[in-house]
Amino acid sequence: MTASLVMGVEQKPERRDKPRDGIDLTIERVSKSFSGAGRTVQALTSIDLRIVRGSFVALIGPSGCGKSTLLRIIAGLEKPDAGVVLIRGQEPEKFRAGGELGIVFQDPALLPWRSVRRNIALPLQVLGQSVRANEARIAELIELVGLSGYAKALPGQLSGGMRQRVAIARALVTDPSFLLMDEPFGALDQILRRTMNLELQRIWMARQTTALMVTHSIDEAAFLADQVVVMHSAPGRIADIVDVPFSRPRAHDLFANAQFHAVCDRLAAALDAGREGRA
Amino acid sequence: MPRGLRTTLGVVAFLLAWELLGRWSPWGYDVISTPSRIAVQYWRDADLYALHISATIRSAALGFLIGNAFAIVGALLFCRFPSVEAMFRGVNIALFAMPPIVIGPVLVLVFSGDWPQIVLAALIVYFPTMAAMLVGLRDIDPRLVDVVHLYGGKEFALTRFVRLRSSLPSLLAGLRVAASLAVLGAILGEFGSGVRWGLGTFLLGSLGEANPARLWGIGLSAAALAMAGYGLFDWIGTRIGGATTAVTLAAARLPDQIAGTGRIQPAHRVALLVVAFVLPFVLWKLLLVATGLSPIIAPGPVQTVLYLFVGPDAASERQIMLQALGQTLPVACLGLVCGLAAAFALAALSVVRPGLVKALLPGALVLQSTPLIAMVPIILLIFGRGVVASTVMAVLVVFFPAFVLLAQGFALVPRAARELVDVYGGGPGKQLALISIPFAAQYLSAAAKLVAPRALLGVMVAEWLLSGVGLGNLLNVSRGTLDYGTIWAGALISILISIAAYQSVGVVERMVRWTGAS
Repeated sequence: MTASLVMGVEQKPERRDKPRDGIDLTIERVSKSFSGAGRTVQALTSIDLRIVRGSFVALIGPSGCGKSTLLRIIAGLEKPDAGVVLIRGQEPEKFRAGGELGIVFQDPALLPWRSVRRNIALPLQVLGQSVRANEARIAELIELVGLSGYAKALPGQLSGGMRQRVAIARALVTDPSFLLMDEPFGALDQILRRTMNLELQRIWMARQTTALMVTHSIDEAAFLADQVVVMHSAPGRIADIVDVPFSRPRAHDLFANAQFHAVCDRLAAALDAGREGRA
Repeated sequence: MPRGLRTTLGVVAFLLAWELLGRWSPWGYDVISTPSRIAVQYWRDADLYALHISATIRSAALGFLIGNAFAIVGALLFCRFPSVEAMFRGVNIALFAMPPIVIGPVLVLVFSGDWPQIVLAALIVYFPTMAAMLVGLRDIDPRLVDVVHLYGGKEFALTRFVRLRSSLPSLLAGLRVAASLAVLGAILGEFGSGVRWGLGTFLLGSLGEANPARLWGIGLSAAALAMAGYGLFDWIGTRIGGATTAVTLAAARLPDQIAGTGRIQPAHRVALLVVAFVLPFVLWKLLLVATGLSPIIAPGPVQTVLYLFVGPDAASERQIMLQALGQTLPVACLGLVCGLAAAFALAALSVVRPGLVKALLPGALVLQSTPLIAMVPIILLIFGRGVVASTVMAVLVVFFPAFVLLAQGFALVPRAARELVDVYGGGPGKQLALISIPFAAQYLSAAAKLVAPRALLGVMVAEWLLSGVGLGNLLNVSRGTLDYGTIWAGALISILISIAAYQSVGVVERMVRWTGAS
């Protein structure tokens, strides 16, 4: 079973400095349950997953299937009841210590009193690194996420999409090798979402990180990911893993591609199988 | 017409009407006086005012600094260590619910010079500031907690980068209320301490004189002082930004709204409850040991309780207390019920006449922080010294804060729910009966908890200064006759009754609550 879950697609664009092969994330037999209000909910049961270095993986599933919990466990923000999570052979808390892990949530979670520039600098300050020494990198990131000219703006002066770009820049400021995203565009409308998907692909290709993204949207998963992990709920488990073989960079004309729709249909069927199983 | 001009014209018209009524109506001189007489009297008393007001400002400012220093340190400590907050719950509830006027005579026995007023001002400002800041510190985006943790930041980094700055608007809203309360605390302290200078002393000395213009002047000065403090922090708050309605609500926090979330083991919870109950008494005892006062002047908690139950005079002492309570409590209850009912009815009007309530709310916001002392001269002149005066006093101190809270509660009624009634052709009456009143009723218990202690305070202040009956008068008399046992026992009983009133609203609330949210 485990062996069949090893994934890798060798169609990445050229990487400059980071090794192209190897496993970045290993998850073995991870379980997690929550108890409260007199009952226990099995959020995740015996999860096995491997993610290859440099790939983009999407995690899709119905509400309550534990995909966000899995992401939080990978980030070391939540402890699993059982099982092992290793990122490059290290436990999450150890791996992330130097800022090797970046995270983006559905809500941008910016400090409303800080400018764009200073919001992006927050991880450096928490790590105890000099902000001044990294000014050039911050300016570069602001440009990368398309916010040139907004460095001094406050979050309240920005649109929802712009705020989410700030959150992405903040996640990238430590030059992480692993990027976690929990429905990063869930609060945006469909049109803006597609634009942001293109932007994210461009940023990810420029930064060469491994990326894991939780999403509700079949479209988004199929458009962005090299592999889509389909989860079922009650209890949360991995049901299927679907490879998405399109070359990069992908453009919006992919949405008109019959093969793309075949992938989407396959994902929809995999999701539906879970619903029938429960009925 | 520009807004500034309209306001100026309004003020001029008001003063003119007052002047005319004061000159030609039957109760002109004795009751409402006239602006010109008040101004002339003020001019004559200018030297006196300078001395009295500066003394009150000094006490209030020192008390403000000391009380808020404790409040800020306390909020940081309670946020960092929820179990410490649980231990101090008894102290916090006592400081929230205590009628400050009963502490005055006790403080005079323990401290000397200006310190009784200063300490009373400090005690009175502590809770609103602490509660507002604690809520601000705790109420942060959980995702930001994740971000800080992700980069290895612990509680210290979270406090430094997120909590402190995000609590600032809430803290400033607390300080805004605290600034006006400090003035009230200083004045109430002056009643008990008998110092030479202070607005409280001035008021006490002028109540017996037949000089309405002077009484008005003192009341207006106290109100102006409190509003200046309120305005200063309001101005700072708007400059920094974020002084919103939500923050105004935060400044009216109740002890059970700041209670920490349940991460504590049940066994520990019982232990913490015991500590919370015992700690106020321990602090009381420690303070007495530290000051080295004779137990006759300053008895500890055990002696104070024994005073009412053991010894030859215990029975008559209990009799006196019960009689005083029998005079005070019915009036306080009546005032509480009338004040709440009036506030609820007026706030409910917002559904039918939104403009009216919107126009009244800013005034009520300011008046709720006017010290009740400023109302004493007016009440004396209009209602005399009887039970009616005490009741009106209680109603007034209850009405304004309750109205502010309830009006905001009615404003929170979901618009979709109200429009649902519209869609089916229901008028404002149906909307009120089916949607708004049931929805806003949940704020009624919060309002009752907030103002129940104030009703008691209002009645006791009226008793002390005007009517000469009840618990307020008993404390004033005991102060004069150096009846130490009664001073301490009376203070303890008043505080316990206030806490009981507060808690019993909570019990009723739990019985009728329909919503899961607190």
